[in-house]
Amino acid sequence: MRQADRVTAALLLAFSVAFSVGALKSYQWWGSGGPGPAFMPFWLGLVMALLASMMLIRSLKQQHAGAAWFPRGEGLRDILVVLAVTVAYVALLSVTGMIIGTALYLAVLIRYLGRHPWWLTLAVALAAAGFNWLVFVHWLRVPMPEGMLWTF
Amino acid sequence: MDFLTHLGMGFGVALTPFNLVMAVAGVLVGILIGALPGVGPPSGVAMLLPLTFGMDPTSGIIMLAALYAGTMYGGTITAVLINTPGESASVVTCLDGYQMALQGRAGPALGIAAIGSFIAGTIGVVLLMLVSPLLARWSLSFGPPETFALMLLGLTTVTLLAGEDPLKGYISMVFGLMLAMVGYDIISGDARFGFGIVEMMDGIDFLPAAIGLFGLGEVLAGAEQKGAAQLKTSLRIRDVLPGLQDWARSKWAIARGTLMGFLVGMLPGAGPTVASFLAYTVEKKVSRHPEQFGKGAIEGVASPESANNAAATAAMVPMLTLGIPGSATTAIMLGGLMMWGLRPGPMLFEKNPQFVWGLIASQYIANIMLLILSTLFIPLFVRAVRIPYSILMPLIVVFCVTGAYSLKNNLWDVGQMLVMGVLGYFMKKLGYSPAALVLALVLGPLAERALRQSLIISDAGIGILFMRPISAVLTILALAAIAVPLAKWGRSLLSPKP
Repeated sequence: MRQADRVTAALLLAFSVAFSVGALKSYQWWGSGGPGPAFMPFWLGLVMALLASMMLIRSLKQQHAGAAWFPRGEGLRDILVVLAVTVAYVALLSVTGMIIGTALYLAVLIRYLGRHPWWLTLAVALAAAGFNWLVFVHWLRVPMPEGMLWTF
Repeated sequence: MDFLTHLGMGFGVALTPFNLVMAVAGVLVGILIGALPGVGPPSGVAMLLPLTFGMDPTSGIIMLAALYAGTMYGGTITAVLINTPGESASVVTCLDGYQMALQGRAGPALGIAAIGSFIAGTIGVVLLMLVSPLLARWSLSFGPPETFALMLLGLTTVTLLAGEDPLKGYISMVFGLMLAMVGYDIISGDARFGFGIVEMMDGIDFLPAAIGLFGLGEVLAGAEQKGAAQLKTSLRIRDVLPGLQDWARSKWAIARGTLMGFLVGMLPGAGPTVASFLAYTVEKKVSRHPEQFGKGAIEGVASPESANNAAATAAMVPMLTLGIPGSATTAIMLGGLMMWGLRPGPMLFEKNPQFVWGLIASQYIANIMLLILSTLFIPLFVRAVRIPYSILMPLIVVFCVTGAYSLKNNLWDVGQMLVMGVLGYFMKKLGYSPAALVLALVLGPLAERALRQSLIISDAGIGILFMRPISAVLTILALAAIAVPLAKWGRSLLSPKP
């Protein structure tokens, strides 16, 4: 946690300085009779720089490393798999379409995370994808990505 | 009696079949969401907000408000049965609720929580109805300095109370304000921090952000600890009714909890969680047998459960009358109001009486529904808690993706939701408060406008905040909330703790 705090504080410090400087450079500081668009971002960046420095100083003075916060081993693998599959799901939505994409996504993750029998996995995946379509597309009339394979 | 005619009109709105169905659906889904560990009220409201886009705003807010009340009770079920609070306002309920469950008294614990919630919710609505119009009339005299000072107070207190580490709370809040700067400037029309990307110029939408930070973020944080806790209890309906003795012990606890909950809930920043902790502490102090607390005292369930429901109702007061949400959940509701094209604040009562009074009347109905449904469907909810995480989690992600997409029907919002989800995961892990970020994101543009308008009308620069009585008091309170972490930080430097 101590290490993470240091890294976060340093990143935030750099970000906030860039934010303030960027605001001053690109936008007007004072407009007609009052503060312009650069005013608030500049001050926010300054306050953030202050807060980040406070955290940096605090974490540098901290003597114990603190508890581990990031998962390792199986936990880390699960997180990464969930993220990767989710990103792939969203990225491919315009190819697969909502129903097929969702059913595939659910089947893959449910099987991976729970090792449930295939019949249960597929039943849940298909039912949920259908229900999702029913509520959003059929009932609420929200147009969903249609995909190239199956359009409706 | 002006407000009786208003209330009559409100019931006219709330009792239409569609709105009635929405209230029931809201309560049911709310209890389910509240019962799922790791998915709290803000996530529930954020994820279901997209469902309301196609509806009339009144029906939408009726569903969301019923949902909010439902989640408050749903969190109790897991707190009592498996010692895992479904949301933060039920953390204290674990102390005595789970002990009661171990003694085979899970039924009465849930029963008294339902009755307490009902009483607190109903009294809360009565108070809401009486207080809001007065507050709205009073706040009509607010100018930009008062508005800004009030927002500053809301932001600082939420931040202060949001987590264990105030410094990290302030970092989350200021980061949220910085994100709120992205997009068109309301006064000059400049597209700030757009980097030439059209979607960025529109700003960072609060809804994908809220769905990501709360829904996806919480679900990711739970992915490491898959597998739901096993519980052996199976409850039947008649087990849920508390006995006469339980009732006698709880009635004053419920009354005290309700009153404290409402007062705390109205304050900006202090939501149901703070209210429940406070009510529990007070109850233990005034009890004739404090030694039983923590060992299954029924008052230890009745009082915080009443307090959190009363606070959830009271949190609507500042949202509706001042346009300033007191908690993450009401911040998301406020965002919803703005998306529906309503302007929260004092004028809401004048311009949209149908909306306001329909909401108030529906709160009465929602509370009755909550009492009936929570007793009737208790076996169903107990079963829902058993759904393994490996099935629940992917379903929630799909819901987050669909919800983010349905806002404007583009994948950019979904991407934004994913990024915010990862951010939310890290924030949760590292002790930053997503609630403070979302509140700042919603209030950011409004606060900026109020500040700049104040400076335009001021002859004394920022000093204008201290020259008007109301804004001076509010600003000083806000500064006090900032001073606390500063003092703490200074002390930690003087005496380095191991």
